Amino acid sequence: MNDSDTTAKAFADKAIYKVFIAAPIETVWNELVKTDAVLPFFFGSVCRTPGDLTTGAAMAMETPNGKFRSVVGKVIEFDPPYRYSHTFKFTGYDDPPCTVTYELEAVDGGTNFSLVTTNVPKDTKTENDMARGGTFIVNTLKSVCETGKPSFGTRFLLGLMGLATPLTPKASRSENWSFDRIEKL
Amino acid sequence: MITESEMDGIFQALSHATRRAILDHLRADAGQTVGALASKFDVSRIAIMAHLRVLEDANLVVSEKDGRARRLYLNAVPIQQVYDRWLDSYSGSFAARLTSIKYAAEETAKREGNT
Repeated sequence: MNDSDTTAKAFADKAIYKVFIAAPIETVWNELVKTDAVLPFFFGSVCRTPGDLTTGAAMAMETPNGKFRSVVGKVIEFDPPYRYSHTFKFTGYDDPPCTVTYELEAVDGGTNFSLVTTNVPKDTKTENDMARGGTFIVNTLKSVCETGKPSFGTRFLLGLMGLATPLTPKASRSENWSFDRIEKL
Repeated sequence: MITESEMDGIFQALSHATRRAILDHLRADAGQTVGALASKFDVSRIAIMAHLRVLEDANLVVSEKDGRARRLYLNAVPIQQVYDRWLDSYSGSFAARLTSIKYAAEETAKREGNT
């Protein structure tokens, strides 16, 4: 698969996860940027931020009991209801942050929703998890926006993940990831 | 939910060896240009573009303008939707185990020259 424009790169340039959602763009946007509520499409975590989600704000994906912050980042772009972008770091891995961008486009009958990942470090656990997580997030968001709840299979999976909470690494404990520290990332 | 006509589009797009090969190339090299992709096939660029149109209509390929070039990305989401329709996380793990046994057995058979 060698090609002239392919050289060994430390980062995967970009991956796109795209889905059509049969719901108005505002509905999709409001689900996406909800804070202080359990988000099934984000693996049942809660988005925390010190004030409002806005450019430059620190954000953390926290377990509902507040004990762990599994993903942390800083908002790069916040343009309702079209575009939301933030840096993205798994607290359980030593990998550097990558970037996640959500793009919304109003189309006939609903919304085209894309999750775009950039600067994902190659051949890392982060890359692996992003590939699995990307399809999960867009499909679950679709289900939540269209039917008000995740699909049965997803609810089953989320239940299992709740049971796995005791296996979360210590590095992910919330006290290790204050908003001050996240802002300095 | 995914509609039956969307499903028709996915399977129709996947029912051609060249289009499946295109997805393989985009998986290996995300973001390659139409020209780079077309150079890997013996058929004309026009034919590749027609295949790309079918894949984009099925949402299996997403393209983005980059200056004068068009960059192509595999979108695996519809394939996950096909998977989700017939497999849940429970039966999925058994199916995955069976397919890995199949691949391992075939690998061994090939090495021993039985095929």
